[in-house]
Amino acid sequence: MTVITKEYFDYPHRKKGLDHDRFERRYLRDLPQVDWRDGSKLKLWVTVKFEQFPMDMPAKPFVAPGGMDRPYPSVWDYSTRDYGNRVGAFRLFKVLDKYNIRATAAMNSAVAARYPYLLQEILRRNWDVAASGVDMGKLHHGDLDPASEAALVAEAFGTLRKLTGQSVTGWHSPAHSQSTQTPDLVAAQGGKYIADWINDDMPYAFRTSAGELTQMPLSWDLSDHKILFTQNMPIADYEWQINAAFDALLAEAKTRGARVLSLSLSPWIIAQPSRIRALDRLLARITATEGVTAATGEELRNDWLEMQAP
Amino acid sequence: MTRLSDPKSYDYAPYQNRPKITWPGGARVAFWVAPNIEFYELAPPPSPTREVWYRPEPDIINYSMRDYGNRVGFHRMADVMAKYGVRGSVSLNVAVCDHFPEIIERCCELEWELFSHGVYNTRYLYNMTEDQQREIIRDCRDTILRASGQRLDGWLSPAISNGETTQDLLAEEGIKYTLDLFHDDQPMPVRTRSENRLVSVPYMMECNDVPVLNFKNISPRNYLQIIKDHFDQLYEEGADSGTVMCIPLHPYLIGQPHRLSILDEALAYVTKHDDVWLATGREIAAHFEAHHYDQFTDWMKPFNAEVGA
Repeated sequence: MTVITKEYFDYPHRKKGLDHDRFERRYLRDLPQVDWRDGSKLKLWVTVKFEQFPMDMPAKPFVAPGGMDRPYPSVWDYSTRDYGNRVGAFRLFKVLDKYNIRATAAMNSAVAARYPYLLQEILRRNWDVAASGVDMGKLHHGDLDPASEAALVAEAFGTLRKLTGQSVTGWHSPAHSQSTQTPDLVAAQGGKYIADWINDDMPYAFRTSAGELTQMPLSWDLSDHKILFTQNMPIADYEWQINAAFDALLAEAKTRGARVLSLSLSPWIIAQPSRIRALDRLLARITATEGVTAATGEELRNDWLEMQAP
Repeated sequence: MTRLSDPKSYDYAPYQNRPKITWPGGARVAFWVAPNIEFYELAPPPSPTREVWYRPEPDIINYSMRDYGNRVGFHRMADVMAKYGVRGSVSLNVAVCDHFPEIIERCCELEWELFSHGVYNTRYLYNMTEDQQREIIRDCRDTILRASGQRLDGWLSPAISNGETTQDLLAEEGIKYTLDLFHDDQPMPVRTRSENRLVSVPYMMECNDVPVLNFKNISPRNYLQIIKDHFDQLYEEGADSGTVMCIPLHPYLIGQPHRLSILDEALAYVTKHDDVWLATGREIAAHFEAHHYDQFTDWMKPFNAEVGA
């Protein structure tokens, strides 16, 4: 019988705070009751994911959610996702334009390199481009050797900065996956925020070996990907949950201080013909509500830092 | 090494013609809510039996998803429960007392019960000797006493990782009730090798937000319907003999803004019924032990006689 050794009863981090030193413990309810700098209570942060799922993506150590599901060569899986970059994105642009919402484009650098027309449409709208790795087959994870990962982070930022002309301050790791050094590499490359941890509804300060980042509350549980693709729920349940989140966060923002409603959208999922109207209805309701304004990730980060200033 | 073909923790008891359970005030249903307040370690020691995380470590999406409960979800959940006067019986990874003492303080202010869900949810009872399991039980007892002044009465094994004799050890260590058994909708005597009594209290996986929302991918509004339907049936049956309704919760799930209203509506629904006893796990176990344990033990004997005896 395999035995448990006495080391199993060692608890080296069993003390006040977290079991790592990236950030301090903080309870959302303890944040000071302040509004956003423009006086709004709730910020709508729309993030659109522009993703490239290579047909030959590796199965190890794990496949990103939305990755190839069927045997190689799965043209079905590949083209279903690529649909987002050619059809879905433009349907989404139209809806977001209708409500004057500028989004954060969380892009795999491979998408920007492959589809310059799509990139220009993003830039023309003055969206924020955030780096989201190279492609969905190149994951950042604990088993990746450090030099390879550093090269991936440099390539993602480098390609996107060159092609966009933007400073590209944001980082979203494909599949919300990080190694222990990902935040350090992002900061070393001049990144200002990461949006990978899903433990809060507000930004917080995140320590790295190259200075402090802001960790931004990009939703996963409330994303179209999780609800409509991973959990296979009908669009009515997506709509219900976004409305519920909006109601709860707005009520909390009014009594306890500024909050963020993060909509994380994948054009290949939410912009299907049967679904886009639900998003339209949601945005109509959200943007018509007093006390709610939209912001990009970089705008939110700036606002947040200003609000922290003494 | 031989394995058990059944847990050997309980006797057979058909759900008809049972001794009548009477709850305080003549209630039909003893209703309790069990928030699981947990700490999952970012870099836990490996278990010989179970992979802790799903991705190569650090599995930050899964770690941070659970951390949300302590940073954000807990207070939201507690606010809703307080609104309806529903006390929690906390399934506690006791290391939370050390990591997040403010959470424990709020639980105490709200007069919630604390019971043990192990030290961390990333430290399993699998492969442990009996002495090692006793060490865990004692750690939990000491930590809860130190942090809250409460006696440790209840037990849900961490991550529901049982050893073959865990229930025996619980009884020997003076634990009053266990939640590891999912065999019944009423409290039951637990069969152990100890002279001490151990009661199983229903802890309903059908209404637990983790299996419902995370494993079965049921939508929040359908989850609400499950809770109402579950309650309606137990309330009806409770007219004949008292039943138990439990909602096990995890603040990292129910405390999300897109799910919080479910808890609010569920508690509004339950508490608007007259014949409901808003109880804690400890109170349910103690009442059953004092009034019905012997009755049930005697009544069950014929169903469990050896064939040919």
